[in-house]
Amino acid sequence: MDAVVRLSFYCFAAGSFAFAASAICYLAYAIGRIRVRRMALATPDGTTVVAHDARLEPGSQGVGRFGTFLAWFGVVLQALSIGLRTVAAGHVPLSNMYEFSSMFIFLAGLIYLLFERWYGVRQLGAIVLPLIVAMAAYVWVLPANLREVNPLIPALQNPPLMTAHVGIAILAYATFAVAFAAAVLYLVASHWRVSWLPSADLLDDLGFRAVTVGFPAMSLVLILGSVWAYRAWGTYWQWDPKETAALFTWLIYGVYLHTRSLRGWRGNRSAIILLIAFGAVIFTYFGNYVFGGLHAYGGV
Amino acid sequence: MAQASLNQPVARRALPEIVVDRIWRFFCSVRAAVVEIAILALLVLIGTLRGSSVPQGIADALPITAPLVERWYAWDVYRSIPFAAILTILSIAIAICTINRAPGIWTAIQHPTVTTTHGFLRNAEVSSRFNSASPPDAFAAELSAAIRARGYRTMTQERNGEIHLYADRWRFSRLATFPFHLALIMILAGGIVGVAWGFRENALIVPEASVRELGHGTGLSVRLNDFSEIYREDGSPLVYRSDVTLLKNGEPVHRGSMTVNNPMTFGDIVFYQSGFGQAVSMKIADDAGRVYYDDSLPLGLYQSKLNPDAPAGRIDLPPAGVALSVVAPDENPANAPELDTLNLKPGELFFMIRPLGPDSPIEMPVGATISQGDSVNLGNLTLTFERERRFSVFQVARNPGIPIFFAAAILLVGGLAITFYFPHRRVRGIVSATAEGSVAHLAPIARRDWSARRVFEQLARELGKRLQLDPHLTINEGSRPAI
Ligand code: HEM
Repeated sequence: MDAVVRLSFYCFAAGSFAFAASAICYLAYAIGRIRVRRMALATPDGTTVVAHDARLEPGSQGVGRFGTFLAWFGVVLQALSIGLRTVAAGHVPLSNMYEFSSMFIFLAGLIYLLFERWYGVRQLGAIVLPLIVAMAAYVWVLPANLREVNPLIPALQNPPLMTAHVGIAILAYATFAVAFAAAVLYLVASHWRVSWLPSADLLDDLGFRAVTVGFPAMSLVLILGSVWAYRAWGTYWQWDPKETAALFTWLIYGVYLHTRSLRGWRGNRSAIILLIAFGAVIFTYFGNYVFGGLHAYGGV
Repeated sequence: MAQASLNQPVARRALPEIVVDRIWRFFCSVRAAVVEIAILALLVLIGTLRGSSVPQGIADALPITAPLVERWYAWDVYRSIPFAAILTILSIAIAICTINRAPGIWTAIQHPTVTTTHGFLRNAEVSSRFNSASPPDAFAAELSAAIRARGYRTMTQERNGEIHLYADRWRFSRLATFPFHLALIMILAGGIVGVAWGFRENALIVPEASVRELGHGTGLSVRLNDFSEIYREDGSPLVYRSDVTLLKNGEPVHRGSMTVNNPMTFGDIVFYQSGFGQAVSMKIADDAGRVYYDDSLPLGLYQSKLNPDAPAGRIDLPPAGVALSVVAPDENPANAPELDTLNLKPGELFFMIRPLGPDSPIEMPVGATISQGDSVNLGNLTLTFERERRFSVFQVARNPGIPIFFAAAILLVGGLAITFYFPHRRVRGIVSATAEGSVAHLAPIARRDWSARRVFEQLARELGKRLQLDPHLTINEGSRPAI
């Protein structure tokens, strides 16, 4: 392995550890602390009554802030890793599962952190960061030869279109991950009284805002994919399984957007549709494992 | 008559009218649209999984489902009637929904209702109150100017001694939903246009130095001047490239080249490099000097029993009364060597003719192995193996739907971006007189819309700064849905 590529991998490795530590902090912050209180009452007849009660209290701000710090650290390392690989390969690395997943980790981390700043809430990290860590773990178990930089096969030799099509796809998936986290917390916040969770309205809005980035991005992915297919094969739509899986995902987010204007659907049912839609995202992302077709480049 | 109809209940309507109304309302309903999109999504999912091993997995796990899974694999969803039907219904729904919504949206943009009620302001999830020493009309004018300075449009109306105020920003973004939804119909229309008025040739095979007709009413033929493949040092392919000349009525009209990902365009016809292979250039003549064949034959499109692994080709020559087959050396001799009955060396080809038709001059197949440049007599024919060549496989397409598709793509993404990133923001308010001067009570139209509330809170704070008044923000938790 070329030295730059190896350095890139080390950055990824360091990033993985930062994300793992960050995930632990976010979880500690979001779940809060169990505080057991002991009350002793002296009664006039000389005995003492002792009462215990356990309460869940908000996690410490310090732990949350540290989680954020570590997540930024991970994002920067991940950016370095991708940057070094770009230098080594001569194009943005987006041609196999190792490279897509690295990009996903970077973008999901970055987008999550931007939403965290924008909305001033941190609890979402307890869902997004473990997702990132799961993705990093997946990258670790991928065959090691994918970590090397291989030249592009002729069908992929269109770096600008490849970067745009695949890069925007991963951007869309990353924002959908944030929307998914918001939907999960929405369902928690609207069913149980957990005082320190953000308001359900805020979470509903956050999920929607994430989709307002992800849905146009997903539309662009389908369009750029068509443009590329047109340039490479002369037809802009082939009904290839990867294409139709992406279309399926897009349609489910279309359903979600409509439910937001339906009385009685906004909120709970919208959130459930976001969960289903994220299932579709995962299906599209890992689809190469179950279908061949024209997109079978990922090296899996 | 008039008397009689007076006794009729007013609501009674003719049946056709009721039916038309029902259908119209069905197509306008967003609830129905949700169901329609969900059905479309389900069909797409069924079609997607058909291209995967998932149904097989289901059949393996639940043998009862095996017959169903078989039908699943056999069902070409995207060419089925249910699929066409749901696309049609969605298109009609989008069209009718557009017609139905347009007037209302236009009114909301051009002639919004300015007046509001104290109840609305009281119940708003967030509201802001400004006290001023000025009388109501002066304060309303001052407030409107400050709101306008933030990029809003304002309108006021006096009613019962109070001044009602309406302000909004980015009102035209409400229109963006129309190009977006119409783009969806346009994409389908583009697809239909492409199928109806375009053509697509999936495999036009042209050997080097040969000419093949394109057909499809184009009058064009393609000559492949040269095919080249370039490899990297490590042996992985870098470029596959064809140089071609297009001929119309035998006259060259265009010369160009194409590689994978870089098609060649001639007018509205696009040529793509899609494959390549080995070909043989040869000449077949009889003793009298009649030439039956003088061209290149692509190899690799057929298999020969003599060596199933090797590229082979065949051609019928009815005037000569024979069929000719050609077999090249095995590309991968290590694979199943026992099936190779020819054992050709590189540079050699095996030629065989067989009788074709009742008048064939030969009775038995005859074959021979020869090298490039050599000739051989087979029956009454002389066959010359002139040289080895390449052939290219082109995909050729004319798709008049493409411009529609691109226009739709721009409308779609542009429409979405405007809808999402420039949402219509609205504020209502009432300015009333008080003992000290006047009070303005403002609230956004932002039911269950956290971002809109935040935008309003920012606006109220900025107005406070500008007017040097305290914005008195009230957050009305009680009006939020119970959590
Ligand atoms: C595949 C089909 C469809 C897709 C992907 C789709 C997608 C969308 C999206 C992304 C939005 C949100 C952006 C906007 O407000 O413009 C939206 C809104 C809307 N769509 Fe569709 N749509 C489809 C079909 C339909 C149909 C058939 C109807 C009519 C019945 C419809 C009616 C509406 C309405 C009324 C809104 C605005 C909702 C609101 O006020 O927030 N859509 N659609």
